[in-house]
Amino acid sequence: MNNTDVEYDDKLGSKRVRVRRMTFTMRLIHWVNVVSMIVAIATGLYIAEPYYQTLIADDAVDKYVMAWNRWGHFIVAIIFDVTAIIVSYLFFFSRFEKHYLKIIPNKKNIIEFWEVFLNLILLNRRKKFDSSHNDSFNAIYFIVFHIMLAWMLFTGLQLYVHALASGDSSIGAWWPWMLHLVTDWTIPFSSWLVGTTATGGNIMDVRIVHHMSMWIIIVWVLFHIYYQIWRTIFWQEGDIAIVVGGSKFMKVGSDGNKKVEDK
Amino acid sequence: MADRIEGVKKLFTSKSARVETNMGDAHYEKLFQSCQARIEELKTQTPRENRLDIDSFLDDQGVNRRDFMKWASAVTGMLMLPSSFTPLVADAALLMNRAPVIWLELSDCAGNTEAILRSDGPKIDEILLDIISLEFNETIMAASGHQAEKQLEDAIHTFKGKYLLFVEGAIPMGLDGQYGTIGAHAETFYDHLMRISKDAAAVVAVGSCATFGGVPAASPNPTQAVGVMDVLKGKPLINIPACPANPANMVGVIIHYILTGQVPELDSLLRPKFAFGYRIHDNCERRAHFDAGEFVEEWGDHGAKHNHCLYKVGCKGPMTFNNCSIIRYNEGVNWPIGVGRGCIGCSEPDFWDKYAHERPISSVNIKAPTGGVEKTVDEFGLGLLTAASIGIGIHAVASVIAGKTENKEY
Repeated sequence: MNNTDVEYDDKLGSKRVRVRRMTFTMRLIHWVNVVSMIVAIATGLYIAEPYYQTLIADDAVDKYVMAWNRWGHFIVAIIFDVTAIIVSYLFFFSRFEKHYLKIIPNKKNIIEFWEVFLNLILLNRRKKFDSSHNDSFNAIYFIVFHIMLAWMLFTGLQLYVHALASGDSSIGAWWPWMLHLVTDWTIPFSSWLVGTTATGGNIMDVRIVHHMSMWIIIVWVLFHIYYQIWRTIFWQEGDIAIVVGGSKFMKVGSDGNKKVEDK
Repeated sequence: MADRIEGVKKLFTSKSARVETNMGDAHYEKLFQSCQARIEELKTQTPRENRLDIDSFLDDQGVNRRDFMKWASAVTGMLMLPSSFTPLVADAALLMNRAPVIWLELSDCAGNTEAILRSDGPKIDEILLDIISLEFNETIMAASGHQAEKQLEDAIHTFKGKYLLFVEGAIPMGLDGQYGTIGAHAETFYDHLMRISKDAAAVVAVGSCATFGGVPAASPNPTQAVGVMDVLKGKPLINIPACPANPANMVGVIIHYILTGQVPELDSLLRPKFAFGYRIHDNCERRAHFDAGEFVEEWGDHGAKHNHCLYKVGCKGPMTFNNCSIIRYNEGVNWPIGVGRGCIGCSEPDFWDKYAHERPISSVNIKAPTGGVEKTVDEFGLGLLTAASIGIGIHAVASVIAGKTENKEY
């Protein structure tokens, strides 16, 4: 698929070529995730330790504060579930871009990963890669994010299902049954991560890991935002516009990393 | 490291905590027949050592038949059996002196024994535990030294393969088990447990120490204490954790054993589901205050005086499975949250390190995954965030300076 079209000629004799990088669906998912994450963090911190007091002198139905926080947390969790399923489908089957091709550890991808990484730590003095498309470094970085997100979903659903101790729910017994089947492994795995002196995995380790993972994801977001701004400033290819308008610009010619192609 | 590898192996073998409260009519009919046959058979046997008539004993204690039957129907409900089982449960309770019990004390404070023996105004649970055929119990037996060892030998020999072994206390594994020895021959607790469990019909680990290591296994665990299920393989094992274990649950397990000859249905931590299939939080009288966001901020404040939720002063009810919010302690008189003190999660593994704090888990000092310094999860996370911010700041400044140098070259 051809995602590029020539936008305009540069004064310097090089060209700026518009490259489509994100479809409308991808951008929509991105911003849905942004909003969900802000809500998840705000409500999650309250659930972990209620940081504001209920001061409404009114009936209990009006000051259902913890319940509303938990409700909000679960709703964004379900939204995350849905976007995660869509993203993992698009990862393999998108007609726009086959994302998984970029994480296969073949020679080309490994070289590209290191070139992008070296350019980052050498402060943009070694740009020996094609920055027009989704590079391997970026692909790996996003894979890390999606693994962490999946981990949050599994641990979160485990914390949710252990409250359904009766084994039943308003939508039937299949729901807690399925959640146990899919998420019970997070208990021994969390205990293994945290390290426990006693026998037996326990649900508290899942809570600790769920909370800890939030901080790691916040760190991920911090670097993500920084890296996009850094690229926009130092590459001068309009990278930050990708997530808004769906496209960036590729420099072709004397200051770019691609030669001017003859039409 | 070996523990961790073992933990990974358990990843896909862990069982769900689901409680099946209704197994269907066909199941119960079949169970009723087999239980009835078993009770009839037990009735024909005479207890070897304990000839106490439980009917008259209960009478002496001021428990009339009506109270006893009310108790029997409550136990039937607790064991998740249909009410038609009540006469069978009553019969099983009266046959409890047919179940020889050996009670071992290892690394512990004898708190579980105390919970049964020294309760003020015993209820039927505690009375019945007094009249089980307790063949050996270090805390209450008159014999000592060689005499006590002889008594133990006799009990093992006489009831070979038939006795229930109750274990209270953790097993220290450090220094080849030399942190805890018992008897004139200084037998280590580990050897002691292995020798006596060999001929037991089933082993019941009572209290948090015997089940998950409990307080002796708390970090840094100098004696390398472990629970019974870590060292005992190839024996039916029932865990009744909590600190102390509720006598009602011990009686429940014994009656279930007498009634069916089997161990009750267990969860992934080998706890009977009839007792540990419920989350404290779901049956808590202060749950409404939790949902409303009304919390005790500190001891003795307005919230504490008005029975608000204890979550912010460290209640671990939302993560703890036990039936004490339903059956309570001491004849249903009260329980921790009822006295205005949060749950410390005493029936969960690792409770001393990860549950028994007076604040939510996110602001509790725990060991970082790397070991070493103890930090709260939030401190660790903010530290991570700070480190990342500093790194980004350095990179940003360096990029700007490098960019300017580059521009000069043009």
